Amino acid sequence: MDIENPLPREIARGVFWLGDCLEQFHKGKSYHSYNAAFLLCGDDASMLIETGHPKDFPAIERQMIELLTADRPPLKYLFVTHQETPHSGGLGRVFQNWPDITVHGDVADYHLAFPQHADRLVSMEVGDEIDLGGRKLVAVEPVIRDLRTTLWGFDTGANCLFPGDGLAYSHYHQDGHCGLVAEEATSLDLEDVLAVFAERALYWTTTTDMRIYVDQLEALLDELGVETIAPTHGLPVTDLALTMPKVRDGLIAEGDPELSVRHISNVDQPEVT
Amino acid sequence: MAFSGITELSPGSVYALQNAFELNGRISAYPDSARGYSVSNCYLLKADGRSMLLDTGYTAHETEILEQLGSLVEPDAPLSLFPLRINEFMSVSNAMAIARRFNVVECFSNVPDIEEWIEFETLRGEERNPILKTTIIERGDHSQVALSPGRKVDVLNAPIRLISTRWIYDAASKTLFSSDMFSHLWRDREDGPWLLGDNDTDDVTNYSFVRSFLLNTRYWWIEGGNLTPIRKAVADVYDRFEIENIAPGYGTILRGRRHVDRQFQVLDDVLDQLDRTRVAPAYVPRGLVR
Repeated sequence: MDIENPLPREIARGVFWLGDCLEQFHKGKSYHSYNAAFLLCGDDASMLIETGHPKDFPAIERQMIELLTADRPPLKYLFVTHQETPHSGGLGRVFQNWPDITVHGDVADYHLAFPQHADRLVSMEVGDEIDLGGRKLVAVEPVIRDLRTTLWGFDTGANCLFPGDGLAYSHYHQDGHCGLVAEEATSLDLEDVLAVFAERALYWTTTTDMRIYVDQLEALLDELGVETIAPTHGLPVTDLALTMPKVRDGLIAEGDPELSVRHISNVDQPEVT
Repeated sequence: MAFSGITELSPGSVYALQNAFELNGRISAYPDSARGYSVSNCYLLKADGRSMLLDTGYTAHETEILEQLGSLVEPDAPLSLFPLRINEFMSVSNAMAIARRFNVVECFSNVPDIEEWIEFETLRGEERNPILKTTIIERGDHSQVALSPGRKVDVLNAPIRLISTRWIYDAASKTLFSSDMFSHLWRDREDGPWLLGDNDTDDVTNYSFVRSFLLNTRYWWIEGGNLTPIRKAVADVYDRFEIENIAPGYGTILRGRRHVDRQFQVLDDVLDQLDRTRVAPAYVPRGLVR
């Protein structure tokens, strides 16, 4: 990117947003999106959530070192939502820098992709938790996902949800959205930017009635008392009452066109997530 | 020692580099309950002194794949890479290792700067990975790329897919390379057999097994979906191309029109029966076994 990267940024107490933008083109228009990672700092230990896109790892590595040397607890854990390379491709590189960490989540496939680290993989299921001191990372139901092995994470310290590919949407670089949370990006058209990912990445969402999934998502947010959402690809959501109704409309609009508000043609391929 | 072998699908022209892995509940492409073995299949297409490798396999098989390639490709001969799913480890894990050893002249991709997507190591000191020449594949549902000046292969947007996926059709060998589809034939033994010939019996492919396989793996979302466009797109591939072999990214390769007909018929039956006109859509929780 030719502008200064605005990340890292603390989006909730002890939750740091890491990474850099990826430019993509969709129907002749330029969009930016994130393949973010997050650093979650407890009283006793820190955790990296996602590893970021392979192209971003040098930046994420610098951001982590900067944050972890500032009197924060050591990195002990890596939690990954699923096995696609923009989420987990940096696993080996994280191990090179922090060889004592353990990797948590549904750890399928990693023993084949990173066989040299197979003894550091710890399987989690929904409900399992990791104590960071003063806060826990809990594995929760992945309502909107692609691979069957996906898990979402929930931080009990800031009531922050890490939904991986859930809430996957682009943003407008030309409007200065890079590094902003969703509520600050006032010109963000969520229906437009959700469509980029729906067509390109979460193809299945165009085949079904997305009201079912949005209802389930809202139930999960209520059940957990979520206050912040830290998606891997979208801008973080810090005011759910303001933003989630727009997300609801956008997700439903991308669903089965005969059940949804408008038709989304299926003409292209995913390039992200 | 895990099974590793080369299967020649078309003499001097198409080879499967097959490497076994255990099904132990830790393979995302298979049901959690599947037990036994399967193989990852990378395919080498050769023509006129040039080669194209479809997928590069898992890192766990790096040594074997480099050896397999070395037995089929001269180090200086031009080699193209074509990952069918650029976001999945099975497709891209060994791309850089192959590029360091062989004369990789291009990597087909739907994104620019492919090396930014497939660099999984932090190199130290003076080490540098090769810069791969990215050849952007055309947008749209169907295009062609050249294997050699005299031989092209068809590149298809996978008509049924979870994520970004390409299928390849090679007219010269009448082979459909189907990535994550038609990958449901695994074995009790790691040494296979990993090719089902014309006269071999397929005891597995029937409606209930394929339905269960799809719903318990990458296609967990199809029950109650609007599957008519997908059925039409799959049927279009079947009608348009003269397919004699199905070469999936995982599992047993199928040779012969009888097998091809059966695979497409059963898939169509499953998609038909799971369409939202027959089954109401419902939320699918993680781990739901069907």
